[in-house]
Amino acid sequence: MIKVEDLHKSYGKLEVLKGITTTIHSGEVVAIIGPSGSGKSTFLRCMNLLEEPTGGRVWVGDQDVTDKKNNIMKIRQNVGMVFQHFHLFPHKTVLQNLTYAPMKVKGLAKAEAEKIAFELLEKVGLSEKANEYPTRLSGGQKQRVAIARALAMQPEVMLFDEPTSALDPEMVKEVLEVMKYLAHTGMTMAIVTHEMGFAREVADRVLFLDGGVLVEDTAPDEFFTNPKSKRAQEFLEKML
Amino acid sequence: MNLDFTQFIPSMPYILKGIIVTLKIVILAGILGFIFGIILSLFKISKFKVLGWIADVYTSIFRGTPLVLQLMLIYFGSPQIFGFQIEAYTAAVLSFALNSGAYISEIIRAGILAVDKGQQEAAMALGVPYRKMMWDIILPQALKNILPALMNEFITLTKESAIVTTIGVLDIMRRSYQVGAEYYSYFEPLLIAGLIYYLMVITLTFLGKAVERRMRRSD
Repeated sequence: MIKVEDLHKSYGKLEVLKGITTTIHSGEVVAIIGPSGSGKSTFLRCMNLLEEPTGGRVWVGDQDVTDKKNNIMKIRQNVGMVFQHFHLFPHKTVLQNLTYAPMKVKGLAKAEAEKIAFELLEKVGLSEKANEYPTRLSGGQKQRVAIARALAMQPEVMLFDEPTSALDPEMVKEVLEVMKYLAHTGMTMAIVTHEMGFAREVADRVLFLDGGVLVEDTAPDEFFTNPKSKRAQEFLEKML
Repeated sequence: MNLDFTQFIPSMPYILKGIIVTLKIVILAGILGFIFGIILSLFKISKFKVLGWIADVYTSIFRGTPLVLQLMLIYFGSPQIFGFQIEAYTAAVLSFALNSGAYISEIIRAGILAVDKGQQEAAMALGVPYRKMMWDIILPQALKNILPALMNEFITLTKESAIVTTIGVLDIMRRSYQVGAEYYSYFEPLLIAGLIYYLMVITLTFLGKAVERRMRRSD
C-alpha cells in the first residue's frame, strides 16, 4: 500500500506537484496519466524518493518514506521500479543483472538468487538469454529483463515510469503482456503510461494529473467514457 | 657517425638491472596513484562540498608545479617533513604516486560523470547502498571508458620516472649515464636507454590493448 498526503515538489520556483493526496491499496493497479509536464513521473519518483518531496508525506506500507529517520535503502528494497530507458547494467549479463541486488543487498546466496532469477526469466520468456549482455537484446527484451530485475528483489510494490514509451511499436505488446500477467498475480502497481488501451483494460483506477494537480481519481471505464473535468476531456480528445 | 656499441657489451647487465629499479618505482607508484586518484575523484563528486574543495586544491597544486620540484621537495625536505631522511626510492614512489593521483583523479572524475545517470537511479531503486553502487556499477563502467586516458598516464609515468636520476636513484637513465661517463662516450648508452624505455612503453601499450579487449566483452 502506498499512501500519499498533500505531496508537493518544487524545483526552485517551478512547482511541479501542488499537493497530491491519494492511496494505492494492496493489490491495486493504478494508471497515472496526463499530458507531458503534468508531473506524473515526478509523482511516481517521489514514491521511492528518487525525487525528494518538498512537502507532504508518502508512506510505503507503514513506513514514512519522507521521514529521515527511516532507512530509505531498506524501503526501496520493497519497491521495484521500471524505467522508460530500462537502465540495465551493461557490464553485467542478464543473469547477473537479476542476481546482483538480491545477493549484494539482501545477502542471498548465489544459488538461491540464481534460482529466483531463472524462474523470473522463464516468466518473462527470456530463459535462453541468461548469459547474454544487455546490448545483445532488443528494446522489448531489455524492458522485460528490467521488470524481472525489479521482481528479483521480491518487492511488494512495483512502479513503472512510462515502460513502453522508448520501445518500437512492435515491441510494446510483449512488455504489456508481462505487466498484465503481473497485475493478475495481485501485485500492487503504479504505472505512468500513455497506453490508454492498456490503462483501460488492466488498471483498477486511473489518476489523471494536470499541472501538478490530481484532477481525477476514478475507475477507468468512468474516466474514459465520462470524464468529469474539462482538462481530462481535452486530453482524451487528443489521445484517442 | 661512428657508433661503437660493442665496447658497451660488458656494461649491459649493469644497465639492464635498471629496468627492475624503474619498474619497481613505476608499478608501485602507478598502483598507489590509481587508488589515490579514485579517492580524490570520489571527493570531487561528493555532495560534501568541503571534500570537493580539498581535492580541487590538491589537484591544482600537484598539476601546477613541476614533478621534478615535487620529487626534490619530498626527498631533500624529508628531514623537515618526517623528521628523518627517507630513501631516494621511497621519495620517488611517493612523489610519483601523489603527482599521478592528481591527474588520474581528473580522468576518473570525467569517466564517472560520463556514466548514464540512469545507472545510479536503477541501483538506488534496488536499494543498493552508495559504496556498493560506486564500486560494482559506476566505476567498472567509468573505467572501461577511460582506459585509453589511463594508459596515457601510465606511459607518461614510465617515461617521467627517468627524473629520479636527479636524486641519485640507480634507474635505467642513471646507469646509462654512468656508463657513458666511464667510457667518455655518452651517445651509445643513452641510445640504449632510449631503446629500453621505448620497449617498455610498447609493452605497456600492448597490455593496455589486451585489457581493453577484455573489458569490451559486453559490447
